[in-house]
Amino acid sequence: MRFGKIVAAAVTAVLFFAANSASAAGIAGSKHDFSASAWSGTQICNVCHTPHNANQAAGQLWNHALTAATFTLYASSTLNAAPGQPTGVSKLCLSCHDGTVALDSFGGATGTNFIANNSAKLGTDLSNDHPISFAYTAALATADGSLVTPASAALVVAGIPLYGTNVECGSCHDVHSPTNGAFLRVSNAGSALCLKCHTK
Amino acid sequence: MRRCISFPHFKAVAVAGVLALIVLPVSLTVAPADAAVATTKHNLSVSGTGTVKATSENQICVFCHAPHNNYPSGQLWNRRVGTSYTPYTSSTRKSVAGQPNGASLLCLSCHDGTIALGEVRNRTTNISMTGGVTTLPAGNTNLGTNLSDDHPVSFVYDASLVAVRGELAAPTALAPPSKVRLDGSSQMQCTSCHNPHDNTNTKFLAIANTSSALCNVCHLKNYWSVSDHKNSTKTWNGAGTTPWPHTTGTTVAANACENCHRPHTAGGGPRLLNYAAEETNCMNCHNGNVAAKNIQTELNKTYGHKVATRTGVHDPAEAASVATAHVECQDCHNPHAVNATAGSVPGGSVAPTLPGSQVGVRGISISGTEVNPATTEYEICFRCHADGAANTPSPSFARVIAQNNKRLEFQTTNPSHHAVAGAGRSATVPSLLTGWTTASRVKCTDCHNNNTGRYSSGTPSAPTGTGPNGPHGSTYPNLLERQYVTTDNTAESAANYALCYKCHNRTSIIGTGTNSFKEHNKHIVGERAPCSVCHDPHGISSTQGTTLSNSRLLNFRTDVVTKSGTQAIRWERVGTTGGKCYMTCHGENHNGYSY
Repeated sequence: MRFGKIVAAAVTAVLFFAANSASAAGIAGSKHDFSASAWSGTQICNVCHTPHNANQAAGQLWNHALTAATFTLYASSTLNAAPGQPTGVSKLCLSCHDGTVALDSFGGATGTNFIANNSAKLGTDLSNDHPISFAYTAALATADGSLVTPASAALVVAGIPLYGTNVECGSCHDVHSPTNGAFLRVSNAGSALCLKCHTK
Repeated sequence: MRRCISFPHFKAVAVAGVLALIVLPVSLTVAPADAAVATTKHNLSVSGTGTVKATSENQICVFCHAPHNNYPSGQLWNRRVGTSYTPYTSSTRKSVAGQPNGASLLCLSCHDGTIALGEVRNRTTNISMTGGVTTLPAGNTNLGTNLSDDHPVSFVYDASLVAVRGELAAPTALAPPSKVRLDGSSQMQCTSCHNPHDNTNTKFLAIANTSSALCNVCHLKNYWSVSDHKNSTKTWNGAGTTPWPHTTGTTVAANACENCHRPHTAGGGPRLLNYAAEETNCMNCHNGNVAAKNIQTELNKTYGHKVATRTGVHDPAEAASVATAHVECQDCHNPHAVNATAGSVPGGSVAPTLPGSQVGVRGISISGTEVNPATTEYEICFRCHADGAANTPSPSFARVIAQNNKRLEFQTTNPSHHAVAGAGRSATVPSLLTGWTTASRVKCTDCHNNNTGRYSSGTPSAPTGTGPNGPHGSTYPNLLERQYVTTDNTAESAANYALCYKCHNRTSIIGTGTNSFKEHNKHIVGERAPCSVCHDPHGISSTQGTTLSNSRLLNFRTDVVTKSGTQAIRWERVGTTGGKCYMTCHGENHNGYSY
């Protein structure tokens, strides 16, 4: 039991270090760096995070106004997963990317600058977006038939984290690192990111 | 975001970090992605193994899928879709034909050949393909927008369809664990048969189609289990055209449905046959190159059922009593049922049984109603040679009583008839050869048959013919198995009337001191009159003839026989063996000649 805990911590630690090293030099200058915009107060982190008086319920020392939208969920006749309304870190992402909350609504302020109408604006209709906020379990992999069985409750495979057992935006995206383009957690050359989960 | 996860004890993390060096390789190998699609032609990226691939694009999934902002119909589709297709239609189709939808529409966004392979929605310019390829190159996989020669898709497959169509598996069979599945709307789609990500079974089939295992998940054809087209291990001898133009199976059993059918770009349109000309689907095997007997040779003979003269007239939905003149193999044979089981030996005293070649064929009974399946041969013949508007050919001769409906000619209540639908009317037929009695039944094919058929020579109990059975073709007019000369003034010989002498003892007919009509010799040998001048071989309908004048198949040819004065041409029966004739023949006025 004790050894199991240490092993689990070890896996998490690897991710911790990997994420740190990948993103340490990353966010500055990326599209998630709004410090050049006057409304950001020239800071990078505080659009999303604050060291004190954060939104405790949201976690992540969250500093941005949260979306209150009700989303249209992805559905498909071949979908075995059961996505719910966005939760956890996905809801944080959507607090800019659904277009209902201004980018500059943070630190208690209500802003007026919204995400531009481009491919990064997902809107509240997520039916044309990869599902999120669903439990990715061994049972799901078995039911689907062409999904890799998750390595653990926290990982699909190395480098693809689960949140609890959920797939969230952060499973594919590392919001702090533009290294792989589109803030992807790993390069999708050869569709490598897709194939981490989909054994097609 | 994971860096924000708090850790309770840094020390533990440090220890774990060391352990991670051991654990990490394990976690990497827990569940490697099985990139099967990468090895298939559906990998259109630069790493693809097919001839159609991108010049530099290295993403595989992107040609069909995108994670965000894609076509909103599930499957995270990344392509524009077509809007107008010609759906499959057929006279026997019971499902509702409509435009493709669901996954089928997605497949067609490449396979209809109208949309560039590299045109994906999440790129502002088309992905460049090698060789300047834009849309799917011409070939079997380019279905075009005309889907009338392809298996139907995008139709609801439910219990009511099964009930109406028949010969289909219950929809419950098309759900997991079956790999052949309906979609979430209970519709049959491309993806019911194909798995676009896995080419293990070739042609991206959901399961291997060896022996038509895939077809048979849905299609449960009546009689199929006994059909030689399912079971035969015959192989192709390599001569002529390959009987299996689109499959790799090397036996009839391995090809099964695909001996004749193909699900896409079928030559035979609504029947999804390999070839548009119906008989061509049969003849690449039944020409001596696969099947034991060569039917093609028979069909090439001067007289026969000329299946090659019409194409597209036969319709499986047509009435059992055929309305439009034609003949195709399928009019007499059910290719889902045929087998090599022998039929009954001619003669004897029991009703004939059908050979395996006639199993599962519709017919018309002696009373004129549809029977399905026919249980005796003449019922199949009656489809065309009885009440149907297609009744051909015309009678060979004008006779006193004109009738060309074989069903009426063979009624058992007729004053006389060959014993096709029941035993004949005569209690004594002294000329019958061994093997035949007045209780015997006659089949149409006892007279109308290939002239090289099994019973075309020898005796019923010891036949010596080597060709195939059945009325396919003959060198003799009226598709007769043996010679039957009908020209007036023909010298009598065993050969000239070989057909009659097959069952009727020549010595008894023309000899002296026998019980047959004692003037036979004078007429046939002396006057050289053919049998057909006096006898109408099928029978004389009871609605037209009488026992007095039309027993013994008597119905004179009026091209040879004329009136005696003004009296009606007729024979009158006297007792069991006597009679009187009123007519003029060969210049002789038979004004009541009696015997």
